[in-house]
Amino acid sequence: MSIHTIGVIIKDWLIGLLAGWGVPVELSRLLIEVLTWAVGAALCIIAIMLAALVFIYLERKVSGYIQSRLGPTRCGPVGILQSFVDVIKLLLKEDIVPAEADRVLHTIGPILFLAVSALAYVVVPWDEGGTVAGKVDAGVGVLFMAAVGSMGLIGIVVGGWGSNNKWSLLGAIRGAAQMVSYEIPMLLALMCVVLQAETLSLAGIVEDQKGSIIAWNFLRPWMWLPVVLFLISGVAEINRTPFDIPEAESELVSGFHTEYTGMKFALFFLAEYGNLLLVALIFSVLFLGGWLSPFGYPDPLRLPGIIWLLAKSLLIVLIVMWVRWTLPRLRVDQLMGLAWKLMIPAGFVALGVMCAVIMLGWA
Amino acid sequence: MALEYGPVAVLLTFGVALGVAAMVTAWLLRPSDPYAAKQAVYECGMEPIGPAWSQFYARYYLIALVFVVFDVEAIFLFPWAAVFKQLSAATAMGAVPLVEVAVFIVILLIGLAYAWRKGDLEWTR
Amino acid sequence: MLNNFCFWFAALVALGASVLAVSRRNAVHGLLWLVLSLLAVAVLFFMLGAPFAAALEVIVYAGAIMVLFLFAVMMLHLGPAAQRQEAQWLAPGVWIAPGLLALGLAADLIAIARLAGDAPAGAGIIPPEAVGAALFGPYVIGVELASVLLLAGVVAAYHLGQRRDRSLGEGAGSG
Repeated sequence: MSIHTIGVIIKDWLIGLLAGWGVPVELSRLLIEVLTWAVGAALCIIAIMLAALVFIYLERKVSGYIQSRLGPTRCGPVGILQSFVDVIKLLLKEDIVPAEADRVLHTIGPILFLAVSALAYVVVPWDEGGTVAGKVDAGVGVLFMAAVGSMGLIGIVVGGWGSNNKWSLLGAIRGAAQMVSYEIPMLLALMCVVLQAETLSLAGIVEDQKGSIIAWNFLRPWMWLPVVLFLISGVAEINRTPFDIPEAESELVSGFHTEYTGMKFALFFLAEYGNLLLVALIFSVLFLGGWLSPFGYPDPLRLPGIIWLLAKSLLIVLIVMWVRWTLPRLRVDQLMGLAWKLMIPAGFVALGVMCAVIMLGWA
Repeated sequence: MALEYGPVAVLLTFGVALGVAAMVTAWLLRPSDPYAAKQAVYECGMEPIGPAWSQFYARYYLIALVFVVFDVEAIFLFPWAAVFKQLSAATAMGAVPLVEVAVFIVILLIGLAYAWRKGDLEWTR
Repeated sequence: MLNNFCFWFAALVALGASVLAVSRRNAVHGLLWLVLSLLAVAVLFFMLGAPFAAALEVIVYAGAIMVLFLFAVMMLHLGPAAQRQEAQWLAPGVWIAPGLLALGLAADLIAIARLAGDAPAGAGIIPPEAVGAALFGPYVIGVELASVLLLAGVVAAYHLGQRRDRSLGEGAGSG
């Protein structure tokens, strides 16, 4: 049973209930529509918060094992309560704003960063017919995501500039330069998938891969280059090692969030882990068949699609974490060189290959 | 129209609300004991000299200029990408849509090659 | 009803944010108001049934041009001195001539709107696919010319970045 069917059942039940109270059908439809948005949006927010709680623990455990340590062990069995304890600690921390900072910008920076990173969740196809803003996705899905992605750096810039700290500003400016540079290979990789699926809708891209694992994009040889490009630029867009130049702790103290403490700092962190989940989700949708089961459509195991989507995303998250604790950080000139001299030309090559494949009628 | 984008507005509101709610909760719970040394700008213990709002490396600006060009180009191509299969499948059109877009991309690639050749893509010069 | 309300609300936000973008003395504050204004314009495009134009507005203007302006602000030296200069530029007398010109334009617009009657905008939604078919169909010459224009942009960027006097070395610091 998919999310969509459950939703339809609940909607029908509610309409019946409201009709019993004498509410006109038109009005109750609108009310239920608004209620659906609110529930969908609330679930997206909860997904981000859960992602942060789970991924922080996971990240510490993964890094621990990679470095032959145990990671957190004290709070609860095998340290499983670590994230909750962290939240309490961050709630109780004093909020320190530099006297010379731009107080307003310093405060709205984290809020902007979080709100923008939450916004992209609206077009993620969680399950068959399970997109929060299905109509937006059907119209401009990929473009909406790209638009939200291009606004992602505004929170970093506002926070970094508002702190009036040299480290913060350097981190913010570097972050902006990096995020714009890696946006282009990302868009080019995305374009290859759009060419393949012949639609701008993320749900449509999943539909295009319908079938068992052999129908998924990542097994099509002309998709291998876009897969690599998207993964690398995705990691760069969310500022994770080896692309964490904006917060490089060995040179910039802590980059754009040097002057942040307590809850404001926690909001930045929350949004960063929200972005990590988002990139993993989008990667799964584009190349790993989204909510589709690897055993074919319809799923012989009859599991809800969201389970498959989350399982694939978790795999991607683990790969990204593995990369983080394996590779050293790039220098700023290497970072820009990689984007402009390797990734962007490679993106155009991928686009050319994709066009050739379509012209030959293989796609 | 407005109804289609309802979820976007709701999620944006929720996102902002989450941030504000978290800050307000923390504000109610946390201690507050500011003094001059604590509120100083953190520069690893050194006394900060002047505000951070000063001049920056001009290369950032140039990279942004080139980026804008390629961003515009990518956005131009997205609607094309969504219909390319249809266009090229229409037998009357043949390779025409491909040639059109190839000319568009090649002109821009000349730009990239020019910038590369002239060393405009080097971070340090 | 709801559409109209959203349209007027976004229009008001766009106007208000534009006024603030011009009148702020602090360049970065002005820039942020400009971003808000551009986002409001994107909402207007959505309301008029042009989702592609709206996405373009956000990605190119609110995203890319914003970063460009930001770096331009950072490249120029902006301290208290610049703010004082800005304050001088915003003296009341300065507003008269542009204000009159803007009034003339507004009168023009209102007259045109009156003459044209109801605009066809908002009549239907133009999907990006239709835009693509049109761009690389009847308007292909315009698209190719646009790419030449963009090429000029890349070449100009290189020449802007040329250092006149190579003996100056690392002038503005690096990072």
